[in-house]
Amino acid sequence: MPLFDNDFLTRLEYLSIVSRKVFRGQLMAQRRTKQMGGGIEFADHRQYTPGDDFRYLDWNLYARHDELLLKRFQEEEDLHVYLLLDCSRSMSTGKPPKFDLARQVTAALAYIALADLDRVSVYAFADGVLNHFPLTRGKARILSLMQFLESLQADGDATNMTQLAGEFVIRAPRRGLALVLSDLYDPGGFRNGLDVLRHHKYETHVVQFHHSAEVEPKMLGDVELQDVETGDFRKITVTEKHLANYRQVFQTFLTSVTEYCSAYGLGCTITDTDVTFDKLVLGMMRAAGTK
Amino acid sequence: MSFSTPAAFLWALLAVPLVIFYILKIRMRRIPVSTVMFWEQVFDEKQPRSIWQQLRHLLSLLLQLLFLMLLVSAVTDPFLENDIRQQRQFVVVVDTSASMQALSESGDTRLASAKSQIEQMIQSLKLRDEMALIVAGGRPRVVCGLTSHQRTLQNRLAEITPTDGPTGVIDAVEIGRRLLGSRKNGQVVVVTDGCFGAAAELAASDQIVWSNVGTSSSNVGITRYQVRRSLLDPIAYQILIEVGNFSDGAIECGLDLSLNGDLLDVIPLKLAAGEIWTDVIEKTSVAGGVISADVQWEDDLAADNTASSILPARRKIPVTLVTDGNWFLQRVLEANDVVDLTLVSEVPQHLPPDGVLVLHRNTPQQLPAGNVFVVQPIAATKLWEVAGAISQPLVDKQDTSSDLMRHIRLDNVLMPEALKLIPKVDYTTLVESISGDPLYLQIPHANGNVLVLPVNLDQGDLPLRTAFPIMLTNALAWFAGGNGELIEAMAAGDTRILSVPPHLQKAAEQHDGQLKLTAPDDSHQNIRVIDGHCMIGPLDQAGIWNLSEPVGDDQAAAVDSTAAHTPSLQIACNLTDLSESDLRVPETIEPRRQILNAGFGGRPIWFYLVIAAFLLTMIEWLLFQRRWIS
Repeated sequence: MPLFDNDFLTRLEYLSIVSRKVFRGQLMAQRRTKQMGGGIEFADHRQYTPGDDFRYLDWNLYARHDELLLKRFQEEEDLHVYLLLDCSRSMSTGKPPKFDLARQVTAALAYIALADLDRVSVYAFADGVLNHFPLTRGKARILSLMQFLESLQADGDATNMTQLAGEFVIRAPRRGLALVLSDLYDPGGFRNGLDVLRHHKYETHVVQFHHSAEVEPKMLGDVELQDVETGDFRKITVTEKHLANYRQVFQTFLTSVTEYCSAYGLGCTITDTDVTFDKLVLGMMRAAGTK
Repeated sequence: MSFSTPAAFLWALLAVPLVIFYILKIRMRRIPVSTVMFWEQVFDEKQPRSIWQQLRHLLSLLLQLLFLMLLVSAVTDPFLENDIRQQRQFVVVVDTSASMQALSESGDTRLASAKSQIEQMIQSLKLRDEMALIVAGGRPRVVCGLTSHQRTLQNRLAEITPTDGPTGVIDAVEIGRRLLGSRKNGQVVVVTDGCFGAAAELAASDQIVWSNVGTSSSNVGITRYQVRRSLLDPIAYQILIEVGNFSDGAIECGLDLSLNGDLLDVIPLKLAAGEIWTDVIEKTSVAGGVISADVQWEDDLAADNTASSILPARRKIPVTLVTDGNWFLQRVLEANDVVDLTLVSEVPQHLPPDGVLVLHRNTPQQLPAGNVFVVQPIAATKLWEVAGAISQPLVDKQDTSSDLMRHIRLDNVLMPEALKLIPKVDYTTLVESISGDPLYLQIPHANGNVLVLPVNLDQGDLPLRTAFPIMLTNALAWFAGGNGELIEAMAAGDTRILSVPPHLQKAAEQHDGQLKLTAPDDSHQNIRVIDGHCMIGPLDQAGIWNLSEPVGDDQAAAVDSTAAHTPSLQIACNLTDLSESDLRVPETIEPRRQILNAGFGGRPIWFYLVIAAFLLTMIEWLLFQRRWIS
């Protein structure tokens, strides 16, 4: 069954229309970037520091308060939307696989952005950037992007967010909206990679995917667990008590993702694979609109 | 320790496939997961137990091997040599006499208490101990030989029922001692209420273990009871009754007498403590039936409150007297209420059914068929020759065992003259003179019998003696098949040889010489008839027993419909035993119950091994559920 069939395209178009009607001005290009620059809309003031352009000094304030303040203007520019798609083997688990939903969400977000004349680029990553779809613009490019997504396989090695972020910031120096679509199962922790994106001023939004077997594993007794990313084995005897502990650990992980994003003002969506992509995207829009 | 079946150790080879299967089992299920980092967090918290986790697989195998070894050991049936050396044998004598039916305060009978005690004894038996059960009600009987199988003993114990017979504990103890023989650890255990004569002496014996049941209680009971026809009045009968008060206080009660359920008399009784009241009560009735006596007093033993006896019915006997005149003979027959007398001068050719022909000084050459009583014959017949006269015959021998000679003594009777007869056929001498000549004889005859009294009645004092009417009454009763005579009531536990009435003899001949004896509870047994007699007893139930033709169940309906079957002979059986009615336990008896202290350990080793295996299974299940083992 193809990942992007006619039904998917129909729902995608519907999603695009709904997003424009309901969330106009709150998404992608309709939103002002938070970049300060040479726009015409006043944003705020800051202290003058030697070397600043005198043209932006607010002489009226200097005359009143004898204080050198620099006027800042919100820069209007094309929004660059970077979709960072996790292609590690852990994304291939679940029924349906997390990777399928992640690709559908990626396509949907890309379609909405392209429809709003934003620039979109997709980066497939695992322990680093594996492949990427270069910045593109225009709704007509969506089919090429979908072909790119369909060609991707979730066969990468263990997720390494730090490595991804390092490579990404080099390849995409122009700041913009960075949507990370991953399960975040990074043995080294997801924070370092997101910290890099955050420090490089990318407006980051995290979409964490998981499936029900990861939340509520059913295994009991002696089992040999195989890590699909690393290939490591672990022989354990699972009891009800262990299952309870596991559920608590996993919930702690999800909470940590939420808390991290909340602490640093990152957008965050946590979802399982039981939802459809359009519901998920609408949910993301609603969440963005309430902020 | 030894093993009964050491070959069963071969089952231990099952450990080989067990280990193989175990090795195969520890290849765990492989489950791919997205990441193990969360599981590592879960299990890294319990890192100190990792050594135990490695060992628990081995523990699981060891538990299974231990389980197998326990079962294999159980199959080999191990035992200790000490068990063989300390093997004990118990012979338990259970008193099932009538007094054991007495109720205790708890509402149970003494026998129920005894069985409860014995049940405890059985459960306390050790592995190699053996036990036998002997019941001692009336005639002692071994109900279970020496065995160590507790289930068999329990089944046999449950089958023990009370009897109305007297105690046979002493004989049962003797049987028990013989059963034990020379066994070193053998003991005779007596479980009884002690209500018999030699109880105190027996209880004091060191060779037996005494176990008492029941406590002393008051009782009033009939200890003697007989009914008989009067020897002088053919329609009268006498009741001999004895009632005892076996309590520590005086009582007042009534004694009901009834014939076939119809009340005859109520006799008020006032008995002092320990008093025995005896009386003979005379009544008259031509009709026969069951005469019952009931003491109207509620006590702990009901079996001795009632007694029964059979009163034979008097039926008219058609007697034809052929005589030229003898006043005494005629008057004796006329005075007998059961005789329907006909006087004729000529010998009739045919006799009425069940009739008796009395010939006096009249002896035809050919006697008619049937029962004939020849008094003072004067000539020879086909049955005897006449060899002159005997002068002054003196009686030398009397057949006291014959019913014809009951209550008769002729040794002091003056008989001046008698005819000397030489029988031509087989005969039975009832009275014999010193010279060896028969003075009263019985000769079998066509369709009956012939009694010959060759004594001259006109001389001597025989007609004047009471023996003469008794002799005629006995003869008529004998001809009638015992009709109207005494059938003595038996005491429970007694054995007696009975004369079988002719009609039942004929019935027995048609059934291989056997008759059916039916107990009051409708159980029955076959009785063999030999020479017109049969032995019955010991009867273990009080009440009315029936000796009858052995008719099968399928034939019974047909027989009942024709109503032509042979009448049965009723036999009354009563408790009538002083010892059994006295429910007071001798105070000198001290109960000893060492056997009850046999204590724990009555199970074989294999039993405990199986229990251990079962517990091990439970522990393994528990550990498995908690994932302590795999």
